[in-house]
Amino acid sequence: MTGVVPRARPWGRGEAGAEVSARRASLATLFIFLAPALLLYAAFTVYPVLRTFWNSIHTIGPHNVQELVGAANFTQLLTSDRVFWKAVGNTAIFTIIATIADVLGGLLLALCLFSGAPLAKLLRVVWFTPVLMSYVVVGIIWVWIYDYDWGLANFILRSVGLGALEQSWLGDPRTALWSVMATHVWKWLGFNMIVFLAALYALPEEVLGAAELDNCGWIAKLVYVIIPMLRPTIVNLLVLSFVGKMMIFDLVWIMTGGGPLWSTETVSTYVYKRAFDWNTFDLGYPSAIAVLWFIIILVFVFAMTQLLRQRDRLEF
Amino acid sequence: MISKSIARHCLTAVALLLALGAPRTALAEDVTINVWSHEADEDAKVAFRERAVKNLEAAHPGVHVKITWYEKNPLLAALKTALPAGQGPDVLYVEPDWTEYVEAGYLAPLDDLVNWNNIEPWARAVWVHNGKTYGIPQEAYTNELYYNKDLLKKLGVELPANAQFTQTQFLDLVKKAKAAGITPIAQGVGDRPFPGAYIVGEALLRKLGKEDYKKLWTGGLSWEEPRVIAVLKWTKELVDAGAYPKNFMTLKLGESHYYFYSNPGALMLPMGSWYTGRAFVPVDKGGQPADFPLGIMQFPAVDGGACNQCKTSAIGASFAINAASKHKDIAAEFLNAMSTPEMGKMWIETVYLQTGIKADVKSFSGPHAAYFTELMERQKGEDYFIGGPRDLVQGTCKDSFAQVLNSAFPGGLLTVEQTAKMMNDGCYKG
Repeated sequence: MTGVVPRARPWGRGEAGAEVSARRASLATLFIFLAPALLLYAAFTVYPVLRTFWNSIHTIGPHNVQELVGAANFTQLLTSDRVFWKAVGNTAIFTIIATIADVLGGLLLALCLFSGAPLAKLLRVVWFTPVLMSYVVVGIIWVWIYDYDWGLANFILRSVGLGALEQSWLGDPRTALWSVMATHVWKWLGFNMIVFLAALYALPEEVLGAAELDNCGWIAKLVYVIIPMLRPTIVNLLVLSFVGKMMIFDLVWIMTGGGPLWSTETVSTYVYKRAFDWNTFDLGYPSAIAVLWFIIILVFVFAMTQLLRQRDRLEF
Repeated sequence: MISKSIARHCLTAVALLLALGAPRTALAEDVTINVWSHEADEDAKVAFRERAVKNLEAAHPGVHVKITWYEKNPLLAALKTALPAGQGPDVLYVEPDWTEYVEAGYLAPLDDLVNWNNIEPWARAVWVHNGKTYGIPQEAYTNELYYNKDLLKKLGVELPANAQFTQTQFLDLVKKAKAAGITPIAQGVGDRPFPGAYIVGEALLRKLGKEDYKKLWTGGLSWEEPRVIAVLKWTKELVDAGAYPKNFMTLKLGESHYYFYSNPGALMLPMGSWYTGRAFVPVDKGGQPADFPLGIMQFPAVDGGACNQCKTSAIGASFAINAASKHKDIAAEFLNAMSTPEMGKMWIETVYLQTGIKADVKSFSGPHAAYFTELMERQKGEDYFIGGPRDLVQGTCKDSFAQVLNSAFPGGLLTVEQTAKMMNDGCYKG
């Protein structure tokens, strides 16, 4: 016994002593470890996406008989489908307004907590709770809240003497989309709040301290110090929120099913209806809608990212 | 030695063959039929189908039936992906308006598979496409106008001997109920694409007669035709008189039943006679109170109606066999097991609903016997139009029906002219 414990050979050290980093493992090794994830990704993401593109230029008949129709589905979609354009308009309004409301509202709530509002811990839990609820539960709760006869919204209006303003919130095309939007914002405000709160606590204290030493007021500190430093978080939340809302389906489906009179029809609900509710097995046309919308989302996300990143570079 | 060895090998081979043969025989007998069914939330229908399973399994040892219960929309989504992939159950729940399954060839023709002696010919006819029958009709129903007898009496109105008001009397009744603070018609379209069109649909049938009514839904008659406009105007008068609840647009089907018989209570409820499936369950499960004064009146006669004795009758729950099933014969046995006269009797006595199965029921017993007697009374002298609007419309017209005639028009969002134009845009092929 010499008392000397032989040192384990470092990971990847070759016979000749050449150091091979774990990051430079052989292709075969990499493939073995990546294969399960890649297979799942290919099966459940790549294939469905490619298949949707393929379907979009075909008419799919019974027993998967496919007839190549080229751009016919897209032409019909763009030239003669008035419900599609209604859905596009609704989705655009929903996306723009709700994204702004979500991000701005989340920031305000986070600032409220960050500034040490009373009962901050309780409020954080209360505001975040809706995020943990499923769309089904949220949808059902809010359908009840909006009910004309026994809903909370009209009850409150009547209680404060504003009975003249009571509405069939989800039954009137003028208010239905806004009502669904309010529910969506209510559900997601807490998520944005938590992300902003984490970003706020991560801000360098010396910068905030320096601003205070310079007698910088609360508004000025917010506008000139905090928000610029939060810009990466804001950009990420804007993009995430934007993409999520462009694909909104669950809440609309549960609360209104796209009605009344297509006033809450979104592109996603329309795709579903065309695919599963039109007495047809043809997935070609709904696939064309999905492909077109996918491209539009991609373009917008790219444009948003470029635009906001450019501003980032100018700031720093 | 050699012969002993050969003999030993022969014995081994025989033993092996026997061993292999035995399970093969067992497998041939041991067959499981998969059934996908809707209506899990209706206890009487679940019990009915489970009874058919037991009867079949008792009569055919080795045959097993596994029923998977779905809600309707998940069932549709599952079928639309499973059937094109050559998968899916042996037996599936279907409804007559799901014509795409027939057109696509996913359903097996049942003409030579099923015992049609036990099925009413008119019910079978609903499932005949191009000379072949694709579904076995189980549930039949008529569109009925239920009412609360006590509330009608409270309003001082007496039901005519033929149980049918004129359209003017009906409008007056609606106004009277509204003035008395009673919701005239409990109806909601929050989760269904059809209940809002009961009143206008039945009025159109009476006004136009069966032939033109069918043309209207299949694109052969304009919605701007004067007779159609007259019906729409009368319906609009009802809507403007406050016939429907304020929460009509969001009230769900089940809630509208509860609204009618419990809270807050309403004078009338137009509904398929499958109303009983939800109403005739214990009160703690949302059913109507045992002493609820349920009555049935005819839909109102319209002025100048071509067929004021006409009424919609339709087939609902039906079952079909997957064309890709490897056990069509046994699947057909299951359909037969659900369609015996005894099962038909059980259906009527436990589901309290009409059926496409021939059943010799001369007298009714049980807690709801009076209801079923009255229901049968309301069928006397009626001239049936088989199939509801949703059985006849497809694509854009189906969407227009759901959004316009079912929802926005009775919801008070559209004028008569807007309604006629939008329905024409979606449905009229002229």
